[in-house]
Amino acid sequence: MVALDLAQNTLDGLMVGSSYALLAIGFTLIFGVMRRLNLAYGPTIMAGVYLGTAAFISLGAPILVVLAIVILGASLVGLYVERLCFRPFGEGARTASMVASFALWMQIEEAAMHLLPRHMNPFPALVASAPLEIGPLMLRADHLVMLAATLLIAGAATYLLARTKLGLAIRAVIDQPRAAAIVGIDVERVMMLTFVLASAIGGIAGFLIAATDAQVTAMIGMWATTKGLVAMMLGGLGSVKGAIAGGLLLGVLEAHAQWFLGPQVRDMVAWGLLFVLLAFWPGGLMGAKALDRTMAVGRRV
Amino acid sequence: MLELQGLSKHFGGVRAVDSLDLRITPGQIFGLIGPNGSGKSTTVNLITGLLPVTRGSIKLAGEEITNLPTHVRLSTGIARTFQNIRLFGQLTVWQNLWVAENARAQRERASFLSRWLGGERGARTRITRALEFSGLADKADELAANLAFGEQRRLELARAMAAEPKLLLLDEPAAGMNPEEIGALDDRIRQIRDSGITVLLIEHHMELIMAIADRIAVLNFGQKIAEGTPAEIQSNPAVREAYLGTAA
Amino acid sequence: MDGFLITVLSNIGMISFVALSAYILLLSGQISFGQQAYFGIGAYVAGIATVMWSWPLAAALVLGAFVAGAAAGLVGLVTLRLSGIYFAMATLAFAEIMRIAAELFVYRREIGGIETGPDGIDGFRDIRYLFANDISPFQSCLIVYALLVAVLATLFIVERTRGGRMLRQVGEDPLLAEVNGIDVMRVRIAAALSAGAVAGLGGGLYAHLLTYVEPRSFDIMLGVHALAYGLIGGLGTALGPLLGVLIDIGLLESTRVFRGYRMIVFGGLVAVLLIVRPRGLLDEVAISRIRQALRRWRHAGD
Repeated sequence: MVALDLAQNTLDGLMVGSSYALLAIGFTLIFGVMRRLNLAYGPTIMAGVYLGTAAFISLGAPILVVLAIVILGASLVGLYVERLCFRPFGEGARTASMVASFALWMQIEEAAMHLLPRHMNPFPALVASAPLEIGPLMLRADHLVMLAATLLIAGAATYLLARTKLGLAIRAVIDQPRAAAIVGIDVERVMMLTFVLASAIGGIAGFLIAATDAQVTAMIGMWATTKGLVAMMLGGLGSVKGAIAGGLLLGVLEAHAQWFLGPQVRDMVAWGLLFVLLAFWPGGLMGAKALDRTMAVGRRV
Repeated sequence: MLELQGLSKHFGGVRAVDSLDLRITPGQIFGLIGPNGSGKSTTVNLITGLLPVTRGSIKLAGEEITNLPTHVRLSTGIARTFQNIRLFGQLTVWQNLWVAENARAQRERASFLSRWLGGERGARTRITRALEFSGLADKADELAANLAFGEQRRLELARAMAAEPKLLLLDEPAAGMNPEEIGALDDRIRQIRDSGITVLLIEHHMELIMAIADRIAVLNFGQKIAEGTPAEIQSNPAVREAYLGTAA
Repeated sequence: MDGFLITVLSNIGMISFVALSAYILLLSGQISFGQQAYFGIGAYVAGIATVMWSWPLAAALVLGAFVAGAAAGLVGLVTLRLSGIYFAMATLAFAEIMRIAAELFVYRREIGGIETGPDGIDGFRDIRYLFANDISPFQSCLIVYALLVAVLATLFIVERTRGGRMLRQVGEDPLLAEVNGIDVMRVRIAAALSAGAVAGLGGGLYAHLLTYVEPRSFDIMLGVHALAYGLIGGLGTALGPLLGVLIDIGLLESTRVFRGYRMIVFGGLVAVLLIVRPRGLLDEVAISRIRQALRRWRHAGD
């Protein structure tokens, strides 16, 4: 029976973890290009999801329209955050930039609470079919959609970074912002586009998680920020692959911990793993090289 | 004063410094020159402990210091300046000098507590003297970031001197200076030597180094290709080849 | 003085301890998202000391600060070689672990016929030392400020010593500090230790003034606010974080001018302020100006 539990938990964990992976991809893109933490990332997603929810509640918008509103809303709010917290700050003011993003976190959350004051609101459900049975294992159809969407977006992001001109520019800015500017890349524009892209990806993640729960709570902003951050750090904040690995790992770990130890210990295990990793193995799962690079930048004489 | 034996630093497959032997006798101005990327700055970083050594040893006045942590090296008597000026910009000129003075207290084995809790009183005369020496006496309360470029360079030198070092490493001190400022720098470095401090000078500016160095070593691709008096170096064919690409 | 004003003043005072705690680490160049952990540790330890062990308040506060400082030192030993986002996340992870640990922490005993003590997610209630000893809200507010002034005075004195300078130097350029003979790790651990103790002291006061503390009292919001206060008020002086607390709690939360829209106003204001002054209102430049002006004024008087 334990073997079956383990298998079922792992499966569930992978599904939930795929939404964490999306959040981590968004965080990684922003951190890579800006080298600063965007604490308002979760609230940006919340703003998109709340706009979609409002349209669903008051206008009865169909699910695809809700999806479009969520993505558009998150992108626009992302743009606002970029304008106010990132663009005006130079390299020397990273902390100020981060604290400014925290200030906007508070601002966006309060604005969202004015839009939908109730703690919990309904959200259109993704797929309302019975769970699939694979042998003894159960698999929810909407979870499958979530996993498929994650793989699709991760694939698209990888393709964008590896094969397109914008992707090349993004990678150049991540690697050497100054050199990128010298060879004629409009660094500010690339930063803005990356920001909007990451916010849109976050919007999709927020939509998927709200749709699988068929509801959305006021905690979604905080949830997205902390889960995305933890998943990104577990993956070593170096790459899209690391972000996916970190997200899936976090999902699986939480599923097992919840089953065997209960929900409170579940969160503790995730934070505990992060702490141990950072303290004793700061390269993360896949980001050893990225870390070397940031260290090298820091130690440049 | 300073002795490097078989000193090597490898970055992956790149040998930035490759079995370098160097002996600097006390009271000299020793010049270290070489084309870009020849390993000069890496050598300075190894001597000050900012980079760990791959192989070889560093001795200061006969004492082994190869593996000493960076912060201890100042109190053994090594001070440095940086190629691109490094100052505590958010601190005043006075406070920038005060920190370096710490090394002296360390050397005199003042206790941990008295060093930490000690005020600026004891250091006052020494810092005032350092300010006058570098012509910054009227800028004591100015934030270092607000100084002009030349003043920042002087402050950096004053800071290194405030530690009362035995060996002073100057990493391209003339970079960005005009001829007049270089002339003043020239005098100042000689004064430092005459006060009994050994100077290791890294410099691109050939005229300056040929004029004031007592002895010069030339690096290329991390290896020493020549060493001698300025006159010997100027007539050395290997040096010309390294600088001009062909045997002239 | 009316009760509301006293409560507001006490709140400002207590939160100032956490803000100062984050400020000390900011000076050493480290961003901590986790100073609330030491606030929580101080609150629980001091509360347990007066309630369960019948210690006097002063001793309990000292114990709380001491345990919090020791914990911060230990955590510092393994986290302080990290920097930037790595350090920030490690501190947040530790703080969240402590918060969840508090949710699981049950330590009930019968004291004077009533069962009391920390009770998991419901927190630790009935910390009645101040009631039991007839200390009025006004008097306890005075205690808060007396201790705050003591901490501030210590910080001001330390700023004038070499240790204080070292702290700023390490914060500004650790590598240059090292070349200048400063043991960076030692300075950072000393900073973490004292920051933990200051937060712990604030926590001990909080538990006694509010008569309860719950795990929710020290979640990530407290930590990030504490960090923000220093940056709003300014990093040039220890009065900076206090100014930050005063603006947020004193001006916005308590006056109720922007009720319901406080964060919309405040959030935008802070973002714009930071664009203009990335190191806060009372930053190093402002402080240096003030010092020079004072000196000139004094000379003119001669």
